[in-house]
Amino acid sequence: MDDLTKEFIAESQEGLDRMEQCLTELEARPGDAELLGEIFRAVHTIKGTTGFLGFDRLEKLAHAGEHLLGSLRDGRLAVTSDLISGLLRLMDGLRAILVLIEETGGEGTRSGDEDGELIAELALLNGAMPPEEIEPELLHAVVDTGEMVAEHTGVSEASKMPGALSAANSTAASTERAGGGNDKTLRIDVDVLNRMMNLVGELVLTRNQMLQSDRSAANFPELARRLDTVTADLRETVMQARMQPVGNLFGKFPRMVRDLARTCGRNVRIEFTGQETGLDKSLLEAIKDPLTHAVRNAVDHGIEAPSVRVLAGKPAEGCVRLRAFHQSGSVVIEVADDGAGIPMERVLEKAIERNLVTAEQGAEMSEREVLQLIFLPGFSTAAAVTTVSGRGVGMDVVRANVEKVGGSVEVESRRGQGTTLRLRVPLTLAIVPSLIVRCRGQYFALPQSALVELVDIPNQEFAQLVQRIGSAELYRLREHLLPMIWLDRLLGLGGESLETSLGHYMAVLEAEGCRYGLVVDELMSPEEIVVKPLSPVLREIGLFSGATVLGNGTLALILDVGAAAARAGVKPIEEEDTQLETREPAIQEQVGESFLIFEDRDRERTALPLDMVERIESVSLDRIEYAGGRPMLQYRGEPLPLRDEGDVLPLLETERQAGKETLATVLICGDRSSGLPRHVGVVVRRVLDVSPGTLLDQNAASDGTGMELALVKDRLTIVHREFGAKTRAMWQEVA
Amino acid sequence: MRISGRGKSEEIQEEDDAVSLCSLYAGSETFGIDTRKIREVLGQREPQRVPMSPPFVAGVVPYRGEVLTTVNLRALLEMEEQSGGGYVLVMEDEVAAERFGLVVDAVGGVVTVSARSLEANPCTLEARGRWLFDGAYKMEAGLMVRLDPQRLCPSRLSETGLFRKSTNGDADASLDRR
Repeated sequence: MDDLTKEFIAESQEGLDRMEQCLTELEARPGDAELLGEIFRAVHTIKGTTGFLGFDRLEKLAHAGEHLLGSLRDGRLAVTSDLISGLLRLMDGLRAILVLIEETGGEGTRSGDEDGELIAELALLNGAMPPEEIEPELLHAVVDTGEMVAEHTGVSEASKMPGALSAANSTAASTERAGGGNDKTLRIDVDVLNRMMNLVGELVLTRNQMLQSDRSAANFPELARRLDTVTADLRETVMQARMQPVGNLFGKFPRMVRDLARTCGRNVRIEFTGQETGLDKSLLEAIKDPLTHAVRNAVDHGIEAPSVRVLAGKPAEGCVRLRAFHQSGSVVIEVADDGAGIPMERVLEKAIERNLVTAEQGAEMSEREVLQLIFLPGFSTAAAVTTVSGRGVGMDVVRANVEKVGGSVEVESRRGQGTTLRLRVPLTLAIVPSLIVRCRGQYFALPQSALVELVDIPNQEFAQLVQRIGSAELYRLREHLLPMIWLDRLLGLGGESLETSLGHYMAVLEAEGCRYGLVVDELMSPEEIVVKPLSPVLREIGLFSGATVLGNGTLALILDVGAAAARAGVKPIEEEDTQLETREPAIQEQVGESFLIFEDRDRERTALPLDMVERIESVSLDRIEYAGGRPMLQYRGEPLPLRDEGDVLPLLETERQAGKETLATVLICGDRSSGLPRHVGVVVRRVLDVSPGTLLDQNAASDGTGMELALVKDRLTIVHREFGAKTRAMWQEVA
Repeated sequence: MRISGRGKSEEIQEEDDAVSLCSLYAGSETFGIDTRKIREVLGQREPQRVPMSPPFVAGVVPYRGEVLTTVNLRALLEMEEQSGGGYVLVMEDEVAAERFGLVVDAVGGVVTVSARSLEANPCTLEARGRWLFDGAYKMEAGLMVRLDPQRLCPSRLSETGLFRKSTNGDADASLDRR
């Protein structure tokens, strides 16, 4: 195929994409001359170019379409739903031929009148006869046309469904095909391209200078810096060029929603916000299917039938809202419908029926946890399997696809008010922020997106923190048992073991629903790595998702966190998660509360219940004033009495006299339980930690001063409590 | 054992009969690969090992912005491994469009030999050798075994299943050590 034809196909497909959007909009705003003009132009351009390239079949069909559009433009015809359907079929017909040309180089002309029926239909729509009066037989002709198009696009299954459905089918097939042509081409602003060229020029110049200069030369650091900025700029520009507005993806939804709504007998409107949000081209491709699935779900499962909606006091027309926006370094795409919401008890019933959870587990689940069940493989609540959805491959595939590109999926649902599905994807795929770790002298990269936290296990606490069940090792992390995976054992790494007398490092990772601790020898630095694909032989190992060259020139393998979990046998079942989650609040109650631990006297640890502490302030000593021998602080326009149990202030005072800049640490406490708005400040030496603890028997330690002892982190700690009463007395004394 | 430069002039009899080969060494053996099939000879490199990879994979090396999988010739020949890496030849399997590297002990130079001096593999050769070798050139100093880059491509080596079994048992040993 020559370049001219290729260009023509790409251009025509873009034109048809625009036309598709305009057509669905035209249905909503029939009088819009501008939209009509745009559609007319798209068809006209195709007609003009095809004649020139010698594609007769395409030209004939485009001509028929143009004729009809001409009448529409001149106001001789009114926009009706049938007319729009006819035009959409025209578009499908044109697309099908374009696909045929792209694949075979020819139009597939045999008898010369393949599109006869479609052309006849268009002529009929164009005729004096109003569309409502079309004879039933002619309607059959329309159905046949739909099927014919389906056959041409290579849909193997002979569609025996009613007309509207077969049309929808052929649409789906042809749009999928049409999408294929656009994957390989990308439109780039010439300015961006020029900037890239400039940067590449600068890169070459810098390289030349570097080659001539010596590592010890005086200007070498400067050259290195320049190289750094040029690379960063170049990277950014290339990224920018790869960025595509999400609107490109949204563009195909109005048509899909329209066809779907007709098939399912719904009345649905689609709304967009944030179409201009940019996303990397490859990511856009990756989320295309999950997003399509989500929109289908919203129309089929989400939005109720018009009669049901009216009964529920909602407008008959449902609404699907697609929203894209940036949030903390990632792009969020929301699919929200104002339908019935997800029926929790049905979800639970189904999950129990399919043995995904037991009835006892189900009874204890919160709504949030129940919602998570829809992501389990093989789950579907659709009462009847329709052509649109309910085949049991659903949300789990959506989630898997989104997670594959480092994203996540959340769902939120309110009964009677609708469901919101949130896809969160990183801005770009090619560069991944990662943590570099070392194990047996080899470097590995762990994607930050999977990293939950890092744990240092000192050797002396190893035996206490790491527990065994059989040969399986578990780490007790905040009362959760975390399975531990040793990277060197998992990979069968030989080589010299690192000196581990200092202890071990563990990276807590989470992927595909499993959470585990990966034990490594050493934690290196976080780095933004450029992902390079591995050869098929190495991909086959299944544990590495790629490799990267580190700043020091060595190669690091990128660990596939999910696959590593599967290999080590960590179960990816949500049940475990939900069990843990349900257990969590119970533990919290048992333990009591979190404490803020600080030091106010030498060698003594004191704690306050964390919920009492509102703020921690660093105050210059000058600001602390005295009234009646008691320290006070003016805090937010109020005098705040200070408690200085550990005599910290006199100590600081001597330090200040010694000429040192001193700051006092004051905990601003409020006693919410007593309901008093009054605050009190506690002067401490330094704040140590926040940790859960267990209160000891009050009698053991209490001496009537409102002090109790607690075990926090296995150390005795004094706890200040109920000093509300005491404070009040103190306050009155001062006043 | 190196091929002497003197041999060159004697070998060339007719222009179209001449084949230029890159000579390379593994252990005490001499091999030759058609120079047209070699993209580049990298210097001495130590490939980064890839855990759990088939035994014939020496590891990966960075090559022009790509990560190149390398095949260890010594491992293919069941020789002892040499520490400190070796020379890496970059080749491409044109059919599979896969680029890969071959790690050898040393690279000699370009030798031109007559195509007529090629002998087919002996029928007594075992299966692995039959796969790897593509005949041998009779040289003055001995035989130069011809290698076919197409057959050295890691994915093909893995497909044959001839080289799957680990010969050094490295992985098991490390588990025992712990």
